[in-house]
Amino acid sequence: MTITAGMDVGSSSVKTAVVVDGEPIALRTDRIRRRELRKVIEESYEAVLADAGVQRSDVVYLATTGEGELVDFRRGHFYGMTTHARGAVFLMPGTEGALDIGALHARAMKFDAKSRVLAYRMTNQCASGSGQFLENVARYLGITLEDIGPLSCSANDPELVSSICAVLAETDVINMVSRGIKTQDILKGIHVSMAGRYLKLLRAIGAEGKVAITGGLSADVGLAKALQEKVVEEKFAMEIVTDARAIYAGAIGAALWGAFRHNVLARRSAA
Amino acid sequence: MQRAQNLSEDIDFAAVTEWKARGVGRKAIGHMPTYVPRELIHAAGMLAVGITGGGDKLEIIRGDAYFQSYICRIPRSTIELALSHRLDMLDGMLFPSICDVIRNLSGMWSMIFPDRYVHYVDVPQNFDTEVGGRFWRRELETLRHDFAQLSGVAIDDEALRASIAVYNENRHVIRDLYRARSERPWIFPMSEVYYLLRAGNVLPPEEHTSLLREYLALAPLETSRRDQDRSRVVLAGMFCEQPPHGLVMTLERAGCYVVNDDFLLGLRWLQDDVATTGDPLDALVDAYLNHSAMSASRYAPDGDRGRWLIDSVERNRAEGVIFAAASFCDPALLDQPMLVAALDRSGIPHTEFKFAEDTGQFAVIREQAGTFSDSIRLWSEA
Repeated sequence: MTITAGMDVGSSSVKTAVVVDGEPIALRTDRIRRRELRKVIEESYEAVLADAGVQRSDVVYLATTGEGELVDFRRGHFYGMTTHARGAVFLMPGTEGALDIGALHARAMKFDAKSRVLAYRMTNQCASGSGQFLENVARYLGITLEDIGPLSCSANDPELVSSICAVLAETDVINMVSRGIKTQDILKGIHVSMAGRYLKLLRAIGAEGKVAITGGLSADVGLAKALQEKVVEEKFAMEIVTDARAIYAGAIGAALWGAFRHNVLARRSAA
Repeated sequence: MQRAQNLSEDIDFAAVTEWKARGVGRKAIGHMPTYVPRELIHAAGMLAVGITGGGDKLEIIRGDAYFQSYICRIPRSTIELALSHRLDMLDGMLFPSICDVIRNLSGMWSMIFPDRYVHYVDVPQNFDTEVGGRFWRRELETLRHDFAQLSGVAIDDEALRASIAVYNENRHVIRDLYRARSERPWIFPMSEVYYLLRAGNVLPPEEHTSLLREYLALAPLETSRRDQDRSRVVLAGMFCEQPPHGLVMTLERAGCYVVNDDFLLGLRWLQDDVATTGDPLDALVDAYLNHSAMSASRYAPDGDRGRWLIDSVERNRAEGVIFAAASFCDPALLDQPMLVAALDRSGIPHTEFKFAEDTGQFAVIREQAGTFSDSIRLWSEA
């Protein structure tokens, strides 16, 4: 039995996964929320191991990704693209591309069946197409994060916002509220703007076929719907897919690569 | 380690000023990167001071007036150091033949500082004893004469042999450090080794040797240092303009163990001990002709370009090469295609990027080095 763990340290949360013989058996998310990051990392790891019913010493390879370079007890670190590609292929077999959308950035990538990244493109430093921006909007609108997706799906008359700048977009939202625009139409407008931005990234790398949404915003059904509608509208040869565990794609991918590396290193030391 | 960091980051060269103040009439000779015969400076009782530009600590204002914008940064920041009086403690300056830019810099130096000793050290590109050897011997005799005049100390053979022995010891401990780092890079990380090497720019060789010995003894006692699953890489292209420390840290954080490099190559240009018997100038000539490090700034016979890099990869069990050349560095960037071709023929993975000594944004380099490290570990055997 090979037990590995993956830890995806993002800018707003830490996602951890424990994988046994290629199957995730425990998944966990811990929000950072102004807490000391190293403490969150330590607590999150202890908790996911407890959920999985394994000890630290049972884990043959802890692999980190994202900002996981801070995890000094790791065995190895893999880059976000590498792990999200692996996680996407595992969770949604047949995917050839992914949109990893986190709190601060979004990244489009194209990969082969072995999860080898062939091309990628990231959003620039502006956060208007990210989870942090959506969190801010939810706060202005007085709704929970979980309400964003379903409300957006019920919109009839979406009102577009700036897709270039978070400050402008947030000003747009405040103006819409004062103009009496319905919350669901504001949210849908935001999703449509974000979708347009992401599709530009996907087009730039020549992505086609099944494209998975991974990362924190993969749970946002409103965004997935807006993306699929945009794909149809712009006649892209693409299908947007997601999975309930896609938020853990980075952590799962890291744990799977960890198992791969564990076997390689074991073979080498046996030789 | 803190002392090494302070020494390597001090662009006011306080250590040199202090060294001079410790004795009456002491003199210091600066030199640009790659090889100068520091033994001759030492034998004259002077301090050899490695000048590697202003790094990321110096804003260039006047230096930009001396060079075009498509010239690398090190000559401009070196001029800036001088014009801001940070190099006033130097009694002379040597410019080894690295490239045309450094040759021009030596001319500018002569014009800016007409009262100071300036010498362009024209190291031979012909490695035949009867040709390059005779030429180099004459050059060394000139330097011996000049340094004796400058210091007022005659450099006899005995003194020169003693200085050769001092530098042999220094190079020996540097080789030990490189060997130790190659074997256990998690104990001797490049980010620390880099500071220690740079400290050698301003310390007398005896003190530098002691500092390195102390580090070699103490670093393994740090129990928190654990081996991680990282890729082993050789860095190439940094033999003249030196990278900011943040770049070295970035490569390590990106998942690389740097197991060999060409940082501050002049400190270990001579790769074997120089003979301490017989004629000391002949010994230095022989060492240069037969035991020099390979770099883009020296001649290599046809078909031999890149052999040293492949040897380095094999000897250090490296899995790939990162070419990191300074922007606009003619020797490194002209050499790179030949090195790349040699690596391709041997099936050795490589990636390349450029830097400047004041590069401050490392996100792209981190991403590139990180994905390179991933590709080595995951795709070479996937």
